[in-house]
Amino acid sequence: MSGIAEVLVAVGDDIFLVEEDMVQTIRFDEPSVDDSEMQNDDSGNLIGVMETKQIAINYSCESALPPQQMAWCGMDSVLLYWDEDLMMVGDPVHYFYDEPVILIPECDGVRILSNTNLEFLQRVPDSTESIFKIGSTSPAALLYDALDHFDRRSAKADENLRLIRSSLSEAVESCIDAAGHEFDVTRQRALVRAASYGQAFCSNFQRDRVQETCRTLRVLNAVCDSAIGIPLSIQQYKLLTPVVLISRLINANCHFLALRISEYLDMNKEVVIMHWACAKITASPSTPDSHLLEILLDKLQLCKGISYAAVATHADNCGRRKLAAMLVEHEPRSTKQVPLLLSIGEEDTALVKATESGDTDLVYLVIFHIWQKRPPLEFFAMIQGRVLARDLFVAYARCHKHEFLKDFFLSTGLIHVVAFLLWKESWDMGINPMASKGSPLHGPRIKLIEKARNLFSQTKEHTFESKAAEEHAKLLKIQHELEACTKQAIFVDSSINDTIRTCIVLGNNRAAIKVKTEFKVSDKRWYWLKAFALARIKDWAALEKFSKEKRPPMGFRPFVEACIDADEKAEALKYIPKLSDLVERGEAYARIGMAKEAADCAAQANDGGELLERFRKTFVQNAIFDTLKMPFQGAS
Amino acid sequence: MAQIPSLENAPLNLKSIRDKSERELVNLLKDIRGTKCLVIDPKLSGSVSLIIQTSKLKELGLELRHLTAEPVQTECTKVIYLVRSQLTFMKFIASHIQNDISKAIQRDYYVYFVPRRSVACEKILEQEKVHNLVTVKEFPLYMVPLDEDVISFELELSEKDCLVDGDVSSLWHVAKAIHELEFSFGVISKVRAKGKASVRVADILNRMQVEEPVNSNDVGRPEVDTLILLDREVDMVTPMCSQLTYEGLIDEFLHISNGAVEVDSSVMGAQQEGKKMKVPLNSSDKLFKETRDLNFEVVVQVLRQKATSMKEDYTEINSTQTVSELKDFVKKLNSLPEMTRHIHLAQHLTTFTSKQSFLSQLDMEQTLVEAESYDICYEYIEEMIHKQEHLTNVLRLLVLFSVTNSGLPKKQFDYIRMELLHSYGFEHVVTLNNLEKAGLLKKQEFKSNWLTVKRTLQLIVEDTDTSRPNDIAYVYSGYAPLSIRLIQQAIHSGWRPVEDILKLLPGPHLETKRSGFPSSPSVDSLHGASNGVADGRRSIVLVVFIGGVTFAEISALRYLASKEGMAYDLIIATTKIVNGATLIETFMEKLG
Repeated sequence: MSGIAEVLVAVGDDIFLVEEDMVQTIRFDEPSVDDSEMQNDDSGNLIGVMETKQIAINYSCESALPPQQMAWCGMDSVLLYWDEDLMMVGDPVHYFYDEPVILIPECDGVRILSNTNLEFLQRVPDSTESIFKIGSTSPAALLYDALDHFDRRSAKADENLRLIRSSLSEAVESCIDAAGHEFDVTRQRALVRAASYGQAFCSNFQRDRVQETCRTLRVLNAVCDSAIGIPLSIQQYKLLTPVVLISRLINANCHFLALRISEYLDMNKEVVIMHWACAKITASPSTPDSHLLEILLDKLQLCKGISYAAVATHADNCGRRKLAAMLVEHEPRSTKQVPLLLSIGEEDTALVKATESGDTDLVYLVIFHIWQKRPPLEFFAMIQGRVLARDLFVAYARCHKHEFLKDFFLSTGLIHVVAFLLWKESWDMGINPMASKGSPLHGPRIKLIEKARNLFSQTKEHTFESKAAEEHAKLLKIQHELEACTKQAIFVDSSINDTIRTCIVLGNNRAAIKVKTEFKVSDKRWYWLKAFALARIKDWAALEKFSKEKRPPMGFRPFVEACIDADEKAEALKYIPKLSDLVERGEAYARIGMAKEAADCAAQANDGGELLERFRKTFVQNAIFDTLKMPFQGAS
Repeated sequence: MAQIPSLENAPLNLKSIRDKSERELVNLLKDIRGTKCLVIDPKLSGSVSLIIQTSKLKELGLELRHLTAEPVQTECTKVIYLVRSQLTFMKFIASHIQNDISKAIQRDYYVYFVPRRSVACEKILEQEKVHNLVTVKEFPLYMVPLDEDVISFELELSEKDCLVDGDVSSLWHVAKAIHELEFSFGVISKVRAKGKASVRVADILNRMQVEEPVNSNDVGRPEVDTLILLDREVDMVTPMCSQLTYEGLIDEFLHISNGAVEVDSSVMGAQQEGKKMKVPLNSSDKLFKETRDLNFEVVVQVLRQKATSMKEDYTEINSTQTVSELKDFVKKLNSLPEMTRHIHLAQHLTTFTSKQSFLSQLDMEQTLVEAESYDICYEYIEEMIHKQEHLTNVLRLLVLFSVTNSGLPKKQFDYIRMELLHSYGFEHVVTLNNLEKAGLLKKQEFKSNWLTVKRTLQLIVEDTDTSRPNDIAYVYSGYAPLSIRLIQQAIHSGWRPVEDILKLLPGPHLETKRSGFPSSPSVDSLHGASNGVADGRRSIVLVVFIGGVTFAEISALRYLASKEGMAYDLIIATTKIVNGATLIETFMEKLG
């Protein structure tokens, strides 16, 4: 099945299956289906009834008048009613009434309603007939008789049993069945006893049949009681199902009996207790809340997993908000508890409960609820102390309501966060020129950053950020100037290092030095930066000149690495011998593939051969793979 | 070989979980008739590819698209968005729909939230005035089995969300996923947790059991005996170190995602240059199963042995006489594709591992972990910044430095941060701020207790023989991961013997028995093999990492499980498989 609504439509001789986007014909192969009846309920799902035409009863009676009422009585008989004469078709039986009656068909008989009485008419069930028919010698009758003898200590009991040995289980079955159909308690008892007596001699009988029938009979007898007044036959009960019976009982306010029956039949008591609790609340408008709560809890505790929230909702609907609040406190399921708390105006508690549950979705539910209902400042104050709620709100607002966020942080005194937001905004302006309203000027950006810097400087903890913002603003100004004089838009939003590198690459050493001094770039960083920049434009002469400017502050490593990085062995060799550390020198040789020189350095390095070993390993490993792959070439 | 692992030998029936998810997804998609376009968020599509084959999705008559800010180009009149409940995606969806409206295109829209709908997301759809145009449903995918013993909750932002933004949604998700497992495999009776998030998850899990109890009659005897929860925050040292197992190294250099690694096809020996190919990496590959957890040095040796023996067979084949000998040879040939694959991969890896920069990086990591000399490391990091080496690598080492040293002295702290901003740009100020908030980078306020932790838990193991390991330390060639040492304790004796050490590490710890359920006759100490189930299977310890776990740590746990005298099988669950780089990247946030 697709889960989509499918409609079957009968047109002429065919049946069509209609779907949202297609129609197809359905064929039935069984020729016996010669009539079909269709009903279509409004949800679009199909209910189809097909039946073979069959004449059930064919009967002609002598009356010339058509009957006033006609009703099925069970599956195999029909009642006809003329004035004061009720006739059961078949072997005709007449009943006479002094007053007019109404026939109400049931599954197994007919209820006859008159001005004074309600009667139930039913064909005598086969099992009952086989036992109680005068002179019956059916096995069931003999079994029933045997019990009678047994009770009177007569040996005939045994004789009877022997007679029916072969059909004993049938007899037991009939007795059980008859007991079920019986309304009179004494006879019920006698029949059940007969059944269990017979059962004792039966090896292959399902033993719980007796128990089950007894159980059902107890229920039926209980509801049949005139105080309750719901007489039911066993078949009606089975069709009705216990669940429906229970719901009828609770609707009739027979909660106690309903509860007992639920317990007795091992059914869920929740429905009954829930209904009772709600009814109790409706019925006790003058009982004080705390007292009523006690009464309710006493019973609600009987049922594990019952929804306190549902009872609380009812209390709220009855105008007892305080009671509702007390009840919902007991609800273990936060998904039910929190929405209810909100609806009864217990927002604070709702927030606490949602937070406790760990379910952030619930926390959001509460946040949005409060946000909608309260003025912003009140809302801010409410969530400020609640860490989780606050953080979630911030996460949401960051994504969706930026403006709101600034207000929030300002109102709660988290100035540095506002500063970060401003800083971020300045960045957005750079990336999205539309944000700066089409103007390519960096003025507004710098202004925002300076504003951020001011905010940072208001707190002691953020001096670092304040300094960084200050430098950022300065950098932007310088970059802007550089772009103006080089007429190339390649500086803005690169880092200080990148700016210096771009200057060097462009050959503008003076600008590079200016940036260097402006930001107090350390010599260490300067050497790495410049060496790599010069190697990148392959200005080896300039690099050599740079190396000789003065003694480099941390040796010639930057020069060696810059050359190796640019894959210029010859240039690298100019600087490698100048490396003072032997290990470093050895490694450098190894990296440009000069194994012998590397080994020499390693030998001199005097570190217990550790370096040598490492070199050996690297070389050997590379060789391994080359030999390994040989036989498998093309195998993949 | 398929990217989806077979899961045949899993100690828990993870296949049933995967099959259930597949069924649910297919049913959801089948609900909508006719041709339709499935727009899936890119990260989620990776997870979904471990549940269902793409070809199967196509059989359902789906056009597949990735969710981006750009409007969806399709002829279909039905568009299904399959997205995780993240706020940013809602903006995309809303703008797509608004774009359609402005062009007067009429479509049916369906939003399927994974794993469940969220108030906040729907709020955005509401405010963008598109909520009434979409049909909202849920696809409850809380976890994805990555392999026979590994489950991922696919929450890559968990660590950052919790530590930086205070958004603990992922913890509810983790608890829910564990609870789902309990519905299939029974209530887990013993819980051991360390770390703030872990303790919280244990708490939420208990709440869930109250709210929606697992009925022990429905599921039979509980299969999982113990749950161990560990915050990543407790051990940030391990992920910052370079993993040295085969699988770990592949992840470090080539990045494994959803059980496969993407490499240039020339690496794998194919002729055409420049084309990328996906190499699946899971236990369905027998050779990989054998080698993935070994130290890479050993892997090279193993591969060499196998190759040499095969080479010998190859030369002997000329003198082969009998048919059965031939048969044996052909059988061996079957493993040839696997052999070639891993020889290629391993060789590719050596081009990275033999690099000077990698070796000195390892050197530094070792120096930091052994707490030998901070000055050398500080200078090394400074130089890295000056050389403008890859920012993640710098931050990784810097975090390792800060964590083992419980911060940097104030002067150095400010200096190094400013040098960073100068070198890489001021936009990284947010990243620095994030790392600070998470406590990964900080000013030193008190003396570090790393030395005590290191010594008491014997984190440094001298003379590690990587080819015949006798301790988990082999995965980092001498450093035993702190996280795994803790888990080792938790399995064997519970927290009590190490309480003093636990107090030195971040977050509270907890050890409880969950009552109210008829639990299996349990032995208090997990020692002894008496816990074997009647059908020969061992009972299971579920180890959950909140904030991620590395492949090397998984290898170490597998090593523990395979050791003699171990009474348990281990199943590892994690919010996501991470390594130092991917973890750092989640904290990186540019201003722009």
